[in-house]
Amino acid sequence: MITQALPTPRISRALIDITPAILLGLVCLVLWEAAIWLFKVEPYVLPAPSAIALVMIEQFPVLAVAALVTAEEILIGFILSAVTGIAVAVIIARFETFGRALYPLIVLFQNVPKVALAPIFILWFGYDLAPKVLLIVVIAFFPVAIGMLSGLQSVDPSLVSLMRSVGAGPGTILKRVRLPHALPQLMAGLKVAVTLSVIGALVGEFAGASAGLGYLIQFASTQLETALVFAAILFVSVLGLVFYYVVEMAEQYLIPWAPKFADANNR
Amino acid sequence: MASARPVLRPAPAPAEQPAPVHLSAEGVAVDFDLGGRTQRVLTDIHLKIGKGQLVALVGPSGCGKSTLLRLFAGLMKPSAGKIEVAGMSPVEAARQKRIGVAFQDATLLPWKTALDNAAFLLETADPSLSRAEVRARAETNLHLVGLAGAEGKRPSQLSGGMRQRVAIARALTLDPEVLLLDEPFGALDAITREEMGTLLLDIWQRTQKTVLLVTHAFDEAVFLASDIHVMGTGPARIIETIASDLPYPRDAQTYRDPRFAALEARLRELLVKSHKGAT
Ligand SMILES: Nc1ncnc2c1ncn2[C@@H]1O[C@H](COP(=O)(O)OP(=O)(O)OP(=O)(O)O)[C@@H](O)[C@H]1O
Ligand SMILES: [Mg+2]
Repeated sequence: MITQALPTPRISRALIDITPAILLGLVCLVLWEAAIWLFKVEPYVLPAPSAIALVMIEQFPVLAVAALVTAEEILIGFILSAVTGIAVAVIIARFETFGRALYPLIVLFQNVPKVALAPIFILWFGYDLAPKVLLIVVIAFFPVAIGMLSGLQSVDPSLVSLMRSVGAGPGTILKRVRLPHALPQLMAGLKVAVTLSVIGALVGEFAGASAGLGYLIQFASTQLETALVFAAILFVSVLGLVFYYVVEMAEQYLIPWAPKFADANNR
Repeated sequence: MASARPVLRPAPAPAEQPAPVHLSAEGVAVDFDLGGRTQRVLTDIHLKIGKGQLVALVGPSGCGKSTLLRLFAGLMKPSAGKIEVAGMSPVEAARQKRIGVAFQDATLLPWKTALDNAAFLLETADPSLSRAEVRARAETNLHLVGLAGAEGKRPSQLSGGMRQRVAIARALTLDPEVLLLDEPFGALDAITREEMGTLLLDIWQRTQKTVLLVTHAFDEAVFLASDIHVMGTGPARIIETIASDLPYPRDAQTYRDPRFAALEARLRELLVKSHKGAT
């Protein structure tokens, strides 16, 4: 009823929604700029927003190449984390005895500070893509596995026994009931994982790399090019945002029936 | 709903013509494990339901009606005693699509439409049927329970009573010999509830299915059933079986029959007694 009364199309409504945030952001930038001028802060300590913008324009090719390298790591790492997480969850749910053995080990492994593994991966696999992807998988598969697993296991037992009673095997029940039922929680896990993937890529590059935004951040900071550091951080943030948004779009496409979208459906 | 009205044939009077036993429970008990402590929910249940009978099961909330229904559906095993459906184990009977269940809460798949929800159990039970045929049967039954026009809606877009009716349609789509209905009309308004009751009578008289109906409504039990089993608590057993002397076919006139009032009063009296026993 209420949504019908509002003829405003979706996009312009979204614009109205974010306008205050944009205004506040601009105010902060202006204050930042003014403070640098006022207190005469050295640019290698904290550059002004205008200086950062300038560097972004001047160094755009460098930043873009670095962003592509990091984006590739994130993309491959994230996809592999998703596949690993889903596979682990399905195996635990499907093969109970094996699952009982595997689950505690995974929880134990989750408590290892994964970041500390980065130097070892560099040692094993060199300075290229592989160690970063591996680090991302190790960091990001866990939320996927946990989300997927709790989704698989939270199916109404009555429904499962009903399926079983008409002769459905565990495989059929998995495919037709458990997997679709797990999608909302899987998507929640994927959203955490995509954020962790960005962190994993950066940490991997810090530990040893010859390209990428993380490498650029580290290199620029040793040269006291702080403005370039900030520009690279901005690029990473945008990259993370884009990946997150893609996952969210996938969610709307895959599970339009999820309770969180119910209002939109009833328009 | 009126379009599906069949020619009413009077059902065989159960008292005169003892039908072969279709559902039977002998000395059945159920214990639930509550973290080390066991709770006896059902004890010494003896129940025989003839083929083609429509039987109601009433009793105080929490006495174990749903549990007994799940036993007959083969969804759980008794701790003691023996359950048989059509002369075989309930698990076997369910596998042969002889049993259709509608739970107290509809338990639908939230990502499927009403039509797909009504269809998916038959689809699973009998992969040899074509998708078109399964859907056609599901659609017929959805229309039968008054949900024409709601085929494409998902459970979140249906009311509680509509969801229950989808669950009934899902059970009917299997075309089972035995229908186990757990408070199927619990979430319906009085008028729709009566309509659904009449519909159930229609289906029952047309198809001669054996129906076990759990209900809390006295009038519903008296109007529909030929036998009413009354359960008491602590732990639950069948404390009495009322054989109805109301003839079939039953219609709006039945409510005005003096025997109707007498049966309802008797039922009320028994339930008050079993409630006192519970507390
Ligand atoms: N899975 C379970 N584990 C432990 N106790 C259970 C379980 N299921 C049911 N019970 C207990 O068994 C008893 C009977 O439950 P049941 O659902 O059969 O009652 P009911 O007669 O259907 O009640 P209602 O009319 O409220 O639906 C209750 O005391 C309940 O607490
Ligand atoms: Mg119940």
